[in-house]
Order: sequence, then C-alpha cells, then structure tokens
Amino acid sequence: MAYQKVAIVGAGITKFVRRAQETGKELAFQASKMALDSCGMTIDDIESVSLGTAPDAFDGVHMKGEYLSDGSGGWRKPYMRQFVGGGTGVFAPIHGWLHVASGMFDTCLVVCSEKMSSCYPHPQGAFKTIFDHTTEQALDPTLIWIFALEMNRFMSTYGITKEEIAQVSVKNKKNAMDHPAAQLPMEITVDDVMNSETLAWPVNRLDISPASDGAAAIVLASEHASKRITDKPVWIDGVGWNLDTAYWATRDLSYPRYVEKAARMAYDMAGVVEPKREIEIAEPYDPFDYKELHHMEGLQLADRGKAVEMLLDGVTQRDGDRPMCPSGGALGVGNPIAATGLMKVIEIFLQLRGEAGKRQVPGSPRCGLAQAWGDLMQVGTVVVLRR
Amino acid sequence: MGLTERINKTDKLSYYEGQIPIEYVYTYGLGLEKFFRAIKDQGKFLASTCKECGVTYLPARSFCERCLVKIEGTTAVPGTGTVYSYTTVHLNMDESPKKEPALVALIDMDGTDCRFLHYLTGVKADKVKVGMKVKPALKAKKDRKGHIEDIVGFQPS
Repeated sequence: MAYQKVAIVGAGITKFVRRAQETGKELAFQASKMALDSCGMTIDDIESVSLGTAPDAFDGVHMKGEYLSDGSGGWRKPYMRQFVGGGTGVFAPIHGWLHVASGMFDTCLVVCSEKMSSCYPHPQGAFKTIFDHTTEQALDPTLIWIFALEMNRFMSTYGITKEEIAQVSVKNKKNAMDHPAAQLPMEITVDDVMNSETLAWPVNRLDISPASDGAAAIVLASEHASKRITDKPVWIDGVGWNLDTAYWATRDLSYPRYVEKAARMAYDMAGVVEPKREIEIAEPYDPFDYKELHHMEGLQLADRGKAVEMLLDGVTQRDGDRPMCPSGGALGVGNPIAATGLMKVIEIFLQLRGEAGKRQVPGSPRCGLAQAWGDLMQVGTVVVLRR
Repeated sequence: MGLTERINKTDKLSYYEGQIPIEYVYTYGLGLEKFFRAIKDQGKFLASTCKECGVTYLPARSFCERCLVKIEGTTAVPGTGTVYSYTTVHLNMDESPKKEPALVALIDMDGTDCRFLHYLTGVKADKVKVGMKVKPALKAKKDRKGHIEDIVGFQPS
C-alpha cells in the first residue's frame, strides 16, 4: 500500500504527579506547547490534531474530547479524540499516523492528557463501570481483582514467583530516578515490594503503578514536511492495534493474544521479521510489574514464560542487551492513563535520537517499540519506530 | 525538550465539589433475561451454543460475537466448574481495609467455553488451589430475585 512516510519531529511531557493544580486542559496546553517549541513550530504549522484521553468519568465531563480541545490546539482544526482505555496513549499516535500517512495532512499534533485526581475518593470508582453491569458490577469488583487473577494465572502457568516478578518494579522505579517527569522514582529492594501492603493477593502496593495527573504530546510530519523541521526525524515504520472479547473472564489470561496480533500487524508493516533480534529497545506497558513480562511475550520479544529469565539475567536493564522500560515506565514515571502510552513513545523517540540524557541506553539503537494495553484488558496498541 | 516543575502538595490547592446526578435502570437483554429467569425460578444455569462455531456461552447469549450470527435456544449446564485463578481481596473500593479478606475466583464452567467471576465460599484461602473443583451455592428460592447475587458463591465440591 502507498503510505506517506510519517516522522516524529518533536515531543513534550509535563511532570506526572498525584494531584496537579493545573486542569486537564492546562496540562494538555503545557505538553502541546513544549512539543511545538521543541521543533520550532507554532500551532499555525499544524494541520490536524489527534487527542487521546481515557474515561470521561475521570473528569465527570461527558464530552471530554471537546472539553480538552482548547489546550490541545484543536481550535478550528480537524480534531479527533481517541479512546481505548489504557491503550489510548499509543492509539492516539496511531490515529495521528493515519492522518498523515493517508496524505490528508502533512502535520499532526498528537496530545494525550489525563487528570485522574478529580475523581474522588479514588478513580477506582470510575473503573467499576467498565465491568458488565448485569453479571459483574454487583460483586463490587475493582480493577485490581482482574490483575490479581491474571497475575496468579500467569504465575501458576509458568511457575514464576512473586519475588521474581518484583524485580520488574525494582528495575523500573530505579530507572525513573533519571526521568525528570517521574512521580515515583525510588531505589527499593525485592523485600520492600514483598513487604508492602497486600491489595489483592498476589498484588502488593509496590507491584502497581500510581494514579496520576499529566500530559504528553508529539508532533508528526510527512517526509517532505519533516525536512523543513528537523534533520533527526524518527520514523513510525509500523502500527498495530487489536481488540479481544469484552468477556474478559473467558480469555486465556496467561498470554495476551491481542497484543501478539497488534504486534504482528506492526511488524509486518515495518518489515520486522525477527522481533527478538531487530527490536533493540522497548517500552512495554507496565501498569503492574508482571505486565511487563506478559507483554514482552505477547510482543514476541520473549518466548512464553521466558521473559522472566531475561529479567533475572539483567538483559532488560537499561545497560542490558534488550532494555525494557528505560524511562521507568508506568511503575516509576507514573500512570496518567492516556499520557503514559505517549510518554513511552516519547522515550523511544528520545532514545533513538540519542537525546535521553542520563537514561540513554548504550549501543545507539536504531529500532524500538512502544506498546500500551487497556480497555477491559483486551486491547493491544503498538508502534515500531526507527531512525 | 523542556520539563516543568509541578506542585506536589495537595493540601494547599483549592478545589470545588461536583457530581453526576444520574441513576441507571438496565434491561437484561434477550439472552440474559432467560438466564436469570432460570436461576430464579429453577436454580438452573442456562447456556447457549452457536451452531456455526460450536462455542457454548454461559450465561446464555442471543448472538455469537465470533460469527456474528443469532443464537437460538438454550441448554442447561450443571453450574459446576474448576478454579482457573483466584485472589484474596484485602481492600474496599475506597482503599479501606476489609474486615475479612474476600476470596474471588474465575471458574471454568463445565460444559461451556466460558468462565464465571464470583466469590468462593466455605473454604479458607490457604486451601484454595488452581484446578480445584467447585459447585454453585444458590440462595433459597424465596430469596432469589433474578440477580447475579442469587448465587452466593462457589464452594468446593
């Protein structure tokens, strides 16, 4: 198929915090302005806008796309909101890619903004309504139930221990020490994770990412437009997304088939034949520590049940052979739902440009991947980036 | 790329309260209506099978999402099953601790291709295992209302 090539040419990200004074609009504005400034552009240079933001219930505003449009540079522009729960942060740049790749536009501003702290006393109240209202909500479920059930099944299927999985949390929170936007950077031990409060066994407090406020933005440009903007474009060479059944309880919880399907779609487009060899650096979605391993397997970066061996061997450390979540991930940088996925895209963008500062991985990687996951643990969204 | 410092203290921020003044009255729909009537009146679990792909859904559904065809008819299944995964829940929705941790499981339902999310009853957490056989515990017929809570939970069989 004939696509226009699409480059990421600029990026901006706000600090992720538990409660920001700024509104969601103001967070979106700050990230958008930073992204435009980073590549010397103004809103007049932008032909289309793709906004990502997660449930309307976080804000109690049932037109959240329009509500956030002013901060996102949407005024009198072709503007489109994307929403697939936690997968939104990689879905919004995929839509931005469609805008430009199709030839309809030469530039697109992609903005992801999330303010979870307005939801009182806790955003879990909003998450309750993602469950089926007839068969599940009456049982009073929280999101943590389904992760606990999935984590237990993952551990039971492959004989993996909580202590082993906790090393993901230790790694990512430490990586976040070098991320200036990070909410929960810390040096902790496996014992700290094991001794933290049990929320729903096997999930402890330090196995889990926080609720956050924050925003991120990137600027996309077609190949000929990018030449006027930067001499260091990072190309979106592959995109993929896939949705599994909404009846989450019936799925194989030990293996995310929908992530595999999304990844294969992106790999086919990017001409990636051997992901284990060709994807040099990745940001798999890590709202819980076991999810990094689970997603590495779905992404074909590890064999089933074997991602944990790469973790224990140090392969996924920032200075390892296949760094995973060098940013610090959702566990360390924070998890303002839609903004998290775009933060991951930005991390790969910076790493491929060699501009990740203290977080820079060795070896000058040329090809990387960012992935997000969400809805009722059913959607996988993937982008493959190359310089 | 610039990064801004942002306020971290929540106690100094001004705020105002809001709410969405809405309640919901849901219909069961064509498939679940049959399922919940059978639970209420007969204490039976009704499943439905897609003639195209052979997948058996529980609770009964009115169409197959895989083939996108209508499903006619229902069949009763025993309601027994096998624990696929489980968790002990320690906190309430607002993060306050529960008096007693609650046991929650996903159950592979016999004679179907589906799992149930429900509570485990009549068993201690340290005795629960993946692969354990369970059966449903229903409320007495006079107390059943055609609701998921007509099933108290699942217990070892």
